[in-house]
Amino acid sequence: MAEMKKDFKKRLQEITFKALKAAIKGVLLYGIYFVLSMFLPPVSEMIPGFQQVIEIFVMVYIILATFAELTSDTIFQYFFNTAKALFVILYVIFSFKSGVIGVTFQNVNLIIDLRSFLVIAMLLSLLGLAKSMLQAINFLNAKAEPPRT
Amino acid sequence: MKIPIRMIGTATTFLWIFLIVFFVSAAYSIKDISFDLGEPKIDTTSCNRILFSLPVTIDNKGYYSLSYFNITTEISDNENFMIAQGSTLIPTIEKGREITTSHNMTIDVNDLLQESQDYLFNDTELEIHQIVSMKIAQVIPVQASTNLSMLWGAPLYNLMLGEIEYVAYNTTHTKAIVAIGFENHAFFDLTGSIQIRMYNSTNAFLGEGQTTIEAPQNAPYQRRVELNVPIAGISENGYFKVYFLTSVFNFGPLVVPYG
Repeated sequence: MAEMKKDFKKRLQEITFKALKAAIKGVLLYGIYFVLSMFLPPVSEMIPGFQQVIEIFVMVYIILATFAELTSDTIFQYFFNTAKALFVILYVIFSFKSGVIGVTFQNVNLIIDLRSFLVIAMLLSLLGLAKSMLQAINFLNAKAEPPRT
Repeated sequence: MKIPIRMIGTATTFLWIFLIVFFVSAAYSIKDISFDLGEPKIDTTSCNRILFSLPVTIDNKGYYSLSYFNITTEISDNENFMIAQGSTLIPTIEKGREITTSHNMTIDVNDLLQESQDYLFNDTELEIHQIVSMKIAQVIPVQASTNLSMLWGAPLYNLMLGEIEYVAYNTTHTKAIVAIGFENHAFFDLTGSIQIRMYNSTNAFLGEGQTTIEAPQNAPYQRRVELNVPIAGISENGYFKVYFLTSVFNFGPLVVPYG
């Protein structure tokens, strides 16, 4: 009975620590976004809807990162990490379309070519995806291995 | 396996941070780049062309250099006939530098008149297509384009030849005096000469006269041209052939009937 109580206390401590870590990570990510968002108004003025695109991205990314942190040391952590990497790839593809952004304001057509940025972002996302896959394989490998005596 | 994974993770994080910081700072520095277009100057070149000169000042207070800064202007008429095209390229504008350059464009009015003589006599609307392109931080290509319209003022707007006045000269010849007038609506001063040749109804050449043109922009021009013509050749109707020799264009003959 006492051992069960001790185990429960330990689990509760673990969960609290994970939740705290996830919360700190979420706050930290939001803090980075908050600092960077101060530089965005000039771009948002030029590209309508840019702020919204970034906000949705940051929101989903923070949620996935927080869940990944909450489920750390379980296989679900790698599911969330993979989902995060896939989300970045898909979001970059859908939001930037062909990588050439065209905006019209006050009789001026503005074209910004972000193809090189898009390619680098995609490659980095693929690297993130590969990392998550490797982590998942490593995790399953470690679980399958018999404990060393 | 843990070490390679950690290395991939660290490398990815650093590269993401670098990419985001670079992109955000490049985007933010756009607001510190200013362009200023000065007063356009109009002049004529030695080969009788009109030279448009537009002073452009680019002040790069951003964090990165700009490369391949290019201004292209195309002037065309309503039927998409290209009247003039000019391009100015600045290979690099370093950060913190201010560069003033001149965006030049030449218009050959003689070429223009081969397309249509209407440009001499009628005011018309011209389309200006302007493109400004550059590479921000030498990596991100940006292009801005706009369409404007400009009024082309006819240099010989409302050209008219008056009634002929005959003044006795001697027994065989008479002086034919013809009034000629127009308004110079063009954006350049018109200097040169007008030559008028008079023909009768049987296409026989009667005589010629000439006068100078000094018509500043947006000013009316009125002159009387005297021609010595043989009395025997004068008919009730005929025609004039008018030639314009100016610093910007040579045009003629313009056939104007009389009588």
